[in-house]
Amino acid sequence: MIRHNAKAARWVLTAPLFVFLALAVAYPIYYGIKTSLQQRSLLDPVPSWAGVDNFTAVLKDTGFWHAVSFTLKFTVVATVFEIVLGFLLALLMNKHFPGRKKLLSFLIMPVMIAPALMGVMFRLLLNSDIGIVPALLDKVGISISLFSNDTVVPLLMVLDVLQWTPFAFLLFYSGLQTVPQELYEAASVDGAGYFRTIRSVIIPLMLPILFITGFLRAIDAFRTFDVIYILTGGGPGDQTTTVSIYIYKAFATGNFGTASAAAVLAAILMLPLVPVVVRRLAAPETKATR
Amino acid sequence: MNRMRWLRTGVAGVSIAALGLVAGCSGSGSGAQGSGTGTVKMVAWPGPEGDAMAKVAKAYNAGQGKKDGVKVELTLLSRTDTFSKEATLMATKSSSFDVYFTASYLIAQHAPYLTPLKNVDSSAYFSSAVKSLQVKGVQAALPLDISNHFMYYRTDLINKLLSDPTQKATYEKISKKVVGQTLEPKKPADWNWNDYIATAAFFSKKYNSASPTKYGTALQAKNLVYNTMIWDDVLWSFGGNWLDSSGKPDLESKAAKSAMEVYNKIYTAGLTSPDSSQAEFPETQAALTSGNAAFAVQWSAGYADLNNPAKSPATAGKIGVAPVPGDQHKTHVHALAVAINKYGKNQKAATKWLTYLGTSGAMTDYAKSGGIPAMPSVLTAQSKVNPIYRYVVRDLPTDGFAEPALPKSFDISTMLAQELSGAWVGQKSIDSALKKANSDLAGLAGQ
Amino acid sequence: MTTTTPYAPATTSTDRPLRARKHRRPWWKTAVVLFIGLIINLPLLSAVLTSFKSDADISRSPLTVGLHFTLDHYRNVLAGTTYDFPKYFMNSVLISLGAVVIILVLAVPGTYAIVRLGFGEKHLLRAVSSLRLMPAIFFAIPFFLLYNSLGLYDTVGSLMLVNAFLNLPLAILVLAGALRELPIEIEEAAFVDGAGTYRTLFSIVLPLLAPALVAVSVLVFLFSWSDYLFAVILSSSNATPVTVGAGNFITSTGILWGDISAATVLSVLPPLCFALFAQRYLVSGLSVGAVKG
Repeated sequence: MIRHNAKAARWVLTAPLFVFLALAVAYPIYYGIKTSLQQRSLLDPVPSWAGVDNFTAVLKDTGFWHAVSFTLKFTVVATVFEIVLGFLLALLMNKHFPGRKKLLSFLIMPVMIAPALMGVMFRLLLNSDIGIVPALLDKVGISISLFSNDTVVPLLMVLDVLQWTPFAFLLFYSGLQTVPQELYEAASVDGAGYFRTIRSVIIPLMLPILFITGFLRAIDAFRTFDVIYILTGGGPGDQTTTVSIYIYKAFATGNFGTASAAAVLAAILMLPLVPVVVRRLAAPETKATR
Repeated sequence: MNRMRWLRTGVAGVSIAALGLVAGCSGSGSGAQGSGTGTVKMVAWPGPEGDAMAKVAKAYNAGQGKKDGVKVELTLLSRTDTFSKEATLMATKSSSFDVYFTASYLIAQHAPYLTPLKNVDSSAYFSSAVKSLQVKGVQAALPLDISNHFMYYRTDLINKLLSDPTQKATYEKISKKVVGQTLEPKKPADWNWNDYIATAAFFSKKYNSASPTKYGTALQAKNLVYNTMIWDDVLWSFGGNWLDSSGKPDLESKAAKSAMEVYNKIYTAGLTSPDSSQAEFPETQAALTSGNAAFAVQWSAGYADLNNPAKSPATAGKIGVAPVPGDQHKTHVHALAVAINKYGKNQKAATKWLTYLGTSGAMTDYAKSGGIPAMPSVLTAQSKVNPIYRYVVRDLPTDGFAEPALPKSFDISTMLAQELSGAWVGQKSIDSALKKANSDLAGLAGQ
Repeated sequence: MTTTTPYAPATTSTDRPLRARKHRRPWWKTAVVLFIGLIINLPLLSAVLTSFKSDADISRSPLTVGLHFTLDHYRNVLAGTTYDFPKYFMNSVLISLGAVVIILVLAVPGTYAIVRLGFGEKHLLRAVSSLRLMPAIFFAIPFFLLYNSLGLYDTVGSLMLVNAFLNLPLAILVLAGALRELPIEIEEAAFVDGAGTYRTLFSIVLPLLAPALVAVSVLVFLFSWSDYLFAVILSSSNATPVTVGAGNFITSTGILWGDISAATVLSVLPPLCFALFAQRYLVSGLSVGAVKG
């Protein structure tokens, strides 16, 4: 429905966005890709052309693939739990009960702490000598070592779920809150019980928001850095090295060319997710849901 | 439509111009000597080094700095980010800072971006500190703070062990069980690694239900570049090295294997908390201050807090200092240092500031503010400020070593942490870990 | 806010003619949610506790009795001589608010053009979503160069721009969904009445979008507030925000647990206020963009 006088308006309205994108996006992308094709590190102050050497080096590195597989595993498990638990929590909070309003703010507080600081707080909380959690566990009689070789990966997943479920919860809660009353009543008139209502009415309505939240969390979980790096440094060995940690270590040792190549490869790996979500958003409006 | 075309071209034009402007202006040009006066901007770490540096800078600005016409401005960056931030600054040939913070283990990487220093009085410093900051025969940075390792132990617990016959008997039984030899308790300064392991077992509740501490020791086994430096102590104590005398990678030597076995034994036998696989400096401090460990190999910087009743009441006054155990007592040494940015615009003024930092007066202020200066004379004179000073003066010349000064030293330490930390905690086999580390080392050492 | 069905908050249980009307209030829900809240906020609770403990107590097991309460850590943070936390807080507030303003200015007209005026919809959305895939460190050096050459290094302005950039995909996605929600008839009616594109956008659509706008604002504020990496790269002494300032308590002689806990607790307060204030709008705003988007 492009109106006649809207053609010019299209440009005017998007001009600021374009200029900003050109400056803020196009240049860094161009620069980053250029770096990935150069032999560039702190030891080589004058960069020389490396072609695809950086890329082949990264692709041949078993460490990179190990990071990818660990990160994928981590992302899938964490995201699934966050979506499911966030949704359940939203259902729990959907109807009124005493203290609901105050508890809402309490539930989203983890999102307000910078991930870098959260990592340090976890480090303190879980410290076996001066941290509260091991002390409490000990008191209750559970003497488990949280960071031992077997427990460290599940621990990291649990921490991610604890930190980010509130984010998913918030998006779902707001979605649930706008489900019109009439739908609930219609369903109960039709004789549907609580669970049936959820399954046949609520979830189909919430599908778009499930996708968007899943997309956002999956992308962010794939790029997780702060908490894991602060707690384990990617270790022991490379057991908990994520793609972001791999890239950071390349950067920190001054190997900019390698770091950029790895970053480009990581982005390419995640590209398939994009059409999935865009299709949802660019879908034509369905008048039936109104 | 004219208006449309005008708009379209306008937006495109602005975007392209912006791109061009930015692409053209990457980085600044070359450095300049400057007038020799003005503001000198310096990077520093927070903590004692930074606090101490701030005090020294303040004194300078009020005193000598006035005569020189130079004012020093300090910027504190967090410890974890200082070097990656500097990497960005250096890679873009930035002139934002005149003086950089650097370290022995990074000097080879930083040297291309630093102006060599002249007139550094090497005799005033520990020779290993000065040498560790030389690249291709040129003095690239001025030593500031010196770091090495010691073994800190609970004097009350060890003294009891040495004097009590019942404890001695238990000790002998446990040592036979864990190390395979019947050992007698010895003074910590005389320990080799078997003594270390045996005593750790004695102080672990797993082997000795009457132990006053939960674990004997705290191992720093996190995948971290600084933990490689600690493990290197063990490697060197067995006579090992990264490279052999002809410069080839030597990590599959007997010494390397023994060093790996020490770490592996300590972790897998339960002589340290299982969480040690993620432990480094702060966790080791916590293990000692909470009374859960009896002794540990730790950085020199850790002593001050351990001996401070306000910071660690459980250990204050009860912390003994011994050299790192082993057939030979060896400790890694590195210096934190300051250097002049080759692309800075105020190099003459920066040189004046660095000249001041090289005086014992400045280093005395530095010591009084909590640092560990790399000047033996200052350490001796100020030994009341921090008891660790006299141990540094005593042990560094004999025990101190620096890893081979290769351009990629930092990469190598990072790689070693990555490849070996798995085997330290029993996740990987020692032989395969050493093999991989050795072949990676060949690549990084430029062979 | 109009009162059409999609925007109305859900009615409470007392209004619903349920089959079995529960007279008992569901206290069990309060208990369960409170428990969940405590678990997920353990790090923050630990921070609060630690921030009031003396260094000596922090160095021992947390279950030791006879703890000494102290305000030293808050004093170190707020009145310390080495760091200027009040300045860091001001920087963080400015940066976060600035990012919000920039995003609103860029994204609202832009998204409107994309969604309503059909301007390269699929491609732009795809490009913008793909942006979010790049690991942040990829942009570290280019941004540094960019802002350095623009003379914006270590200024609050550069961090505003960077955070706006980082959160643009999120803003555009939510706003696009929200715009899809609005019945097209309202705008068509305005056009028939003779309103041009701009008039429609500003007088009619914007007020309807208010909840979504507030929602985007709060999220952008939260994420800008917690940014760490770009703050480290692009600031040194003038534009340092709270997150980086708090990192200064990690020193080579150990982590100053008490001080960094106090800094963390303080750093949560402004976003908390912001969110509490906008809570009502946040929730319904996000849902406008999401449920049927």
